[in-house]
Amino acid sequence: MNNIKIITEHWGKINPLKIEDYVSVGGYEALKEFIEKSDSEGALKEVKLSRLSGRGGAGFLTGVKWEMVSAQKGEKYFVCNLDESEPGTYKDRLIAENNPHLLLEGLVLSALTIGAKKSYIYLNGNYEKAKEVLARAILQAQERKFLGTKILSSKYSLEIEIFSGAGAYICGEETALLSSIEGNRGEPKMRPPYPTECGLFGKPTVVNNAETIASIPWIIQNGGKKYLKCATKLFVLGGSVKNMGVFEAPIATTIDEAITKLGGGMQDGKEFWFAQVGGASGGIYLEKELGGPILGSGAILVVDRTADIYDLLLSWTGFFRRESCGKCVPCREGTFRLHEIAERLVDGEIADRDKEALNDILWTLENTTFCPLGKFAATAVRNAIDKLGILK
Amino acid sequence: MQNNVTVEKILVSYDPEVQNLLPVLKKISAVFGFIGSKDAEIVAEYFGLSLAKICEVASFYDLIKTRKPANLEIKVCSSGDCALGSSAEIIQEIENYFRIKAGDEFNPKVRLEKNSCLGRCAEGPIMIVNGKVFEKVTVSSVHRILGEYV
Ligand SMILES: Cc1cc2nc3c(=O)[nH]c(=O)nc-3n(C[C@H](O)[C@H](O)[C@H](O)COP(=O)(O)O)c2cc1C
Ligand code: SF4
Repeated sequence: MNNIKIITEHWGKINPLKIEDYVSVGGYEALKEFIEKSDSEGALKEVKLSRLSGRGGAGFLTGVKWEMVSAQKGEKYFVCNLDESEPGTYKDRLIAENNPHLLLEGLVLSALTIGAKKSYIYLNGNYEKAKEVLARAILQAQERKFLGTKILSSKYSLEIEIFSGAGAYICGEETALLSSIEGNRGEPKMRPPYPTECGLFGKPTVVNNAETIASIPWIIQNGGKKYLKCATKLFVLGGSVKNMGVFEAPIATTIDEAITKLGGGMQDGKEFWFAQVGGASGGIYLEKELGGPILGSGAILVVDRTADIYDLLLSWTGFFRRESCGKCVPCREGTFRLHEIAERLVDGEIADRDKEALNDILWTLENTTFCPLGKFAATAVRNAIDKLGILK
Repeated sequence: MQNNVTVEKILVSYDPEVQNLLPVLKKISAVFGFIGSKDAEIVAEYFGLSLAKICEVASFYDLIKTRKPANLEIKVCSSGDCALGSSAEIIQEIENYFRIKAGDEFNPKVRLEKNSCLGRCAEGPIMIVNGKVFEKVTVSSVHRILGEYV
């Protein structure tokens, strides 16, 4: 594995509360370069060349998304998605807490490139420490003219506002997130029109994950071609591995490599059973299936043979029942019934009728819900039936 | 509760624009513990929105309460790492101790709920008591923690 660190390079080495620490390690140089050249088209070209894909789960190409919005005239918004409510995922929180200025520099570069003058950071409502750190960083960046009106005495201006969520997993979905800022229930909206055409307050809007944005300064400084060769991603390891936590590694890292090399392998005396990749909405991978890439949010939960699968089953179904936004019937009712049946299964009261219903409910969730949350709710349960045989 | 703070005083520090609605509701809920129907009416008038709209938004979010909280509000994380790390037993212990069930609302003094992930998985299992977060909770430490509240 190559050891290049694009996002975590300075974690723990610089004081996140001091902008001068970040500047002393070359921080805001990418922004200075951008302002000097005053070439947003060039910046967009580098991001496209880098083939940077979204780190929020869907993996959409960032350059393509930006191009759609930068081509449009008039008022636009750039939104940083730091809602991060996927269970087992806390990489974005650590980005904000350990090096907030890297995120801010990336955010300024991104917003200026697409031509936005206003940007929001949609922050998980439970992330209080990250909020303080970011708020302070914004003030410091304003004082140094990296942010605000006439950035570094140029024609560019940008205002960044932190918008705190209020505890709703669905608000990580981009259209729900925008509804939430607009003072509505955080329910997803019909797409198309996509946020890139009709987003926040009806204006073209780019929504990007915090990790995606934190990769931008490096790309602007080192070029997209170089990034393409050494792209990294943050992975969050949890469960029965020796080392829990957030690690940066090449994007092509396989599940197996992540567990053994980053996580240090299994804890002593524990035997691998399966890994759940991508948080509660992620699928289950058995030992023979660990050769593939790490999809979704980058979270890997390693489960050993001593685990009680019923605890996990109730954890998944309970989570989605709580977090279903209630907008569409298949998900609102489906997640509720799924949890009920899971409870009966755990209590040993499951009937044949339940087993049939379970199949119908899973199919409905997979195929008919308004937004992907419904599908997420079915994934792990379906895998647990097929691969772990929990109904047998 | 802070002295002399009223809903009106909170409102005047925000412009009546839609993007301020969620921050206002969060603030009122944090200061008074919940948003009562009178408060909701005042907010509706200030923003020029219907009362239904205010209630619809307020009731959507976990961090905004629309009912008076119990004296003791306990939440235990039941996601991923915490679930593997015995949060189910911790919940059972609390249920037995107070003779309540997670999610039930019959006891006006104590309420227990399962919580979604707070992103502190490496420090789990996580328990939140009246807003205060406790890390690495165990079946035995739960008694010591709750003992300080009852
Ligand atoms: C139910 C649901 C939850 C999501 N939660 C998040 C989240 O917490 N953070 C995030 O960045 N993206 C989340 N997404 C993905 C966003 O909708 C969106 O694709 C992403 O923010 C785009 O940024 P990216 O291209 O940089 O990944 C979620 C999607 C769904 C359907
Ligand atoms: S699938 Fe679930 S979360 Fe998505 S819109 Fe329907 S009810 Fe809401």
